[in-house]
Amino acid sequence: MIDPQIYEKFRDIGRDLYVANMISSHGGNMSVCYGDRIIIKRRGAMLGNLKPHDLVETGLEKNDSGVALASTELIVHRAIYKATPALAIIHCHPRAAIAFSLSRDEIVPIDNEASYLLKKVPVVTEEFASGTPEMANKVANALKDYKIIMLRGHGSFAIGQTLDEAFFWSTVLEEACQIALYARIINEPFLEYRKMSDSYHKF
Amino acid sequence: MGGWAGRILEIDLTTQTYKTEVLDTNIARLFVGGRGLGARLLWDLVGPEVDPLSPQNVLIFTNGPLTATGYQTSNRFSVSTKSPLTGTILDANGGGFWGMQFKKAGFDAMIIRGKSPQPVWLEIKGGAVTFHDATELWGKRVFEVTDQLGQNNHRRNVLCIGPAGENLSRIASIIVDRQRALARGGPGAVMGSKNLKAIVVEGTEKPKIEDQERFKFMLYESRKLLAASPLTSQALPEFGTAVLVNIMNTVGALATRNHQQVQFEKAEAISGEELTEKYLVKNEACWACPIACTRVSRTDKVQGEGPEFETIWAFGAQCGVDDLAAIIEANTLCNDLGMDTISAGSTIACAMELSEKGYLDSDLRFGRADLLAPTLEQMAYRRDLGAELADGSLRLATRYGHPELSMSVKGLEMPAYDPRGMQGQGLLYATSNRGGCHMRGNMVGIEVLGIPKLVDRFQVQGKASFVILHQNVSAAIDSLVLCKFTNLGVAEEYFARVLSAVTGMHYATGDLIRVGERVWNLERLYNLREGFTEKDDTLPPRLLNEAPDHGPSQGWVVHLEPMLKEYYRARGWDEHGVPLPRKLTELELDNLVKEILK
Repeated sequence: MIDPQIYEKFRDIGRDLYVANMISSHGGNMSVCYGDRIIIKRRGAMLGNLKPHDLVETGLEKNDSGVALASTELIVHRAIYKATPALAIIHCHPRAAIAFSLSRDEIVPIDNEASYLLKKVPVVTEEFASGTPEMANKVANALKDYKIIMLRGHGSFAIGQTLDEAFFWSTVLEEACQIALYARIINEPFLEYRKMSDSYHKF
Repeated sequence: MGGWAGRILEIDLTTQTYKTEVLDTNIARLFVGGRGLGARLLWDLVGPEVDPLSPQNVLIFTNGPLTATGYQTSNRFSVSTKSPLTGTILDANGGGFWGMQFKKAGFDAMIIRGKSPQPVWLEIKGGAVTFHDATELWGKRVFEVTDQLGQNNHRRNVLCIGPAGENLSRIASIIVDRQRALARGGPGAVMGSKNLKAIVVEGTEKPKIEDQERFKFMLYESRKLLAASPLTSQALPEFGTAVLVNIMNTVGALATRNHQQVQFEKAEAISGEELTEKYLVKNEACWACPIACTRVSRTDKVQGEGPEFETIWAFGAQCGVDDLAAIIEANTLCNDLGMDTISAGSTIACAMELSEKGYLDSDLRFGRADLLAPTLEQMAYRRDLGAELADGSLRLATRYGHPELSMSVKGLEMPAYDPRGMQGQGLLYATSNRGGCHMRGNMVGIEVLGIPKLVDRFQVQGKASFVILHQNVSAAIDSLVLCKFTNLGVAEEYFARVLSAVTGMHYATGDLIRVGERVWNLERLYNLREGFTEKDDTLPPRLLNEAPDHGPSQGWVVHLEPMLKEYYRARGWDEHGVPLPRKLTELELDNLVKEILK
């Protein structure tokens, strides 16, 4: 039995992800972890329209019948929880960020908010970018040192203590990438306004 | 290897000798410093056969690899010992300047053993220790002793005990830099039992920083984060920790009259706003701290540092007192006597309830502000009724046949946050290794303040994981040793990066939190070795059975049982709260505890 407070959080953030154009109708997934248990979106459920039965509980390490229903990215979520102190994960498909991930090994924001909050977002590459052990390891390793990372051409994985926190990092990244995109369209010289921004690459 | 000085000072008070040992680099890597290093050293030195007030107990003073580097709040230090109040493992840490000076004296830790044949004070300077006769200082109060020994914030710093420590009050604190306390669990009594009155340090050695460029970057970014947080840049500097009085009262989580209520109808009169408006002289800061939450307050009778939120609560709401001047005076007196304000206030509150219910024959009643100061004097000198209050509320309430009226966990009085309005806080108190304590991962951030983001304070499922994470983070911060208020603006990932820059060893965020988890589990093992069991992971019956009848927490008691079950499992412990071998191997503690595993 999943607490109503937990379901309501999934429902609200799932809806917001969809409304913010950060997922397709059935794309993306999210989970929370408590102890050796994970609550994750059911495979094929629509994040933007979650019902209580769309949440599945299963083991962090041990399989049970829940795995038959869980998101295909369960393996990635498990690897992340084992490698990091995360208690919540959001995977979504932020469009501008995905576009930038196609040509960069790291995304260094230029706007004030994301510079302040993120400094740098690494991009990792995996050809079979869905639910494979290779992908799970790469993503989990990258998240040891960062709260959000990009999987090239696929989407972002963000971690936090809560879904709210992971959602925050996701939207900050996408906002930063959209701003960078507009700046490219304007195509005027960038006037550096941030002290020590040359250190962001080393963050 | 940057950060660590690489040396441990060992002092034997019985023989009045000292020596220097090399810090084991593997222990440094695993336990970092502060609370972690203290727990690791204590594990080897003080077993269950040792009475906390005997010469066989030790005092271990520690700093951390960040101490004195200049990183924000890198001024703190810690003391570890076996608590004479609870019998558990104990650590207490303090800010100010002494810790920075201690690090600059060239040591990561100082182990004090034995008992001096006569009162003694120590002077540590230029890598040497001088034993001074303290016969003339014995009996004197903290402020006088501190001044007499030449306290100077940036050059020479003094740590000492007052009459409460000398008289072995089990709630006696160690006072540092005149008015800062290593307060909880009675470390002052351990110092008193060793005839050790004071320790003075002077230091000149600066810690080595491996990656200066990265360190400067993290320093700059952390400063920005602290400046951007209204909590660390506005609320704490303007109102001090007392800003929490109104906040906690509003949500129905301000324990009142020995936890009989969860809201104090006169909270406004003892609030941070009131303190700032009527009594604040100025605010001050510890070394390398941009937050500057320290209050200097003045009444017609006294001027002194504080009071902090917990102190205002302990002598205020918990005692039903709305006279802020009397609270300020009680706080200053407690510092001068060398006594923990939380335990002192809550013990007086317990006596008030015992008296009101007719179990104890005394004049103490809720609201009697006039009796605070005289009662504290009696406690520090063990005079009259004070002799019975000097050892905390549990011993007092037990003596009068009502242990359930002690608002303590494992014998340590709980602080202000009433867990009926914060379910996670209840679990946190129940499982805290040093007893009822808010500095072991306070849930006020996530359950009330929304740091990093708000979770439902009445939610039960999943709460254990938040508690565990915050306990681990808290133990990691205590091992660095930094001020927890820094964490209100700067996330732990920054601490991991700073630690990496200073030491030259890579610590990911998870690595640092794993240090905290290792420390937490070692402390748990220590308590198990002392004979504590899952039965001690509980709360006063009042919090489990008596729900507030009105207000925002109406109808709520702490739902401890399901949270505790979830907690043990999520910790990797068995159903009795004993760490499983797999967990100990994972934490590299298995070699240390082979005997327990048998």
